[in-house]
Amino acid sequence: MAIANPRIVADVVEVSEFPDLAQRYMVRGVPKTVINDGVEFLGNVPEETFVAHIQQA
Amino acid sequence: MALLTPEIQNDIKKIFEELTSDVRLLFFTQHVSPLVIPGREQDCPTCEDTRTLLEEVAALSDKLHLEIHEVSAGSEIAREYGIDRVPALIMIADGVKGKVRYFGLPAGYEFSVLLGSLVDVSRAEPDLSEDTMKVLDALDKDLHFQVFVTPT
Repeated sequence: MAIANPRIVADVVEVSEFPDLAQRYMVRGVPKTVINDGVEFLGNVPEETFVAHIQQA
Repeated sequence: MALLTPEIQNDIKKIFEELTSDVRLLFFTQHVSPLVIPGREQDCPTCEDTRTLLEEVAALSDKLHLEIHEVSAGSEIAREYGIDRVPALIMIADGVKGKVRYFGLPAGYEFSVLLGSLVDVSRAEPDLSEDTMKVLDALDKDLHFQVFVTPT
């Protein structure tokens, strides 16, 4: 999605190296996705589900 | 010592046959001080391995261009790219509109995720449904995705 749109920044974060982020985003399982610090979900989700999350962000 | 065995290098070269456009790999790592400061050596314990890994990966295709930036807090280039922690990698290619970044050492399964990202960025053809593209085209705000992973 970040390839397709200039308004998107997509980060992958090795959370074990950044415990401050693990704590801040309460990462207890992976993969955990956080969108704009507000919407979050766990696991790999289908594209439509991801888009639904975007619309809530 | 090389991190990638000759066998793995050959496998990666096969994957890299799918690269189409040149990719710039902007790698941000810790500024290495000639002074040893007690207690500070481990600021970025994975920076060196990540750098070595990316150097070895980038050497496997003439389409990959690794640029290494040693940064310290307040570095202008880090600020310019919004990098607030290291090791960090930004993948840039023609046709890539947003930003694709990786923070940390891509080890284990995440290494194949990195290789896949390089191919995706190089091809710059998002594999998304028409519905998704419509939603993205209608975005009225910036989006920041953070996917937290662990090496497995």
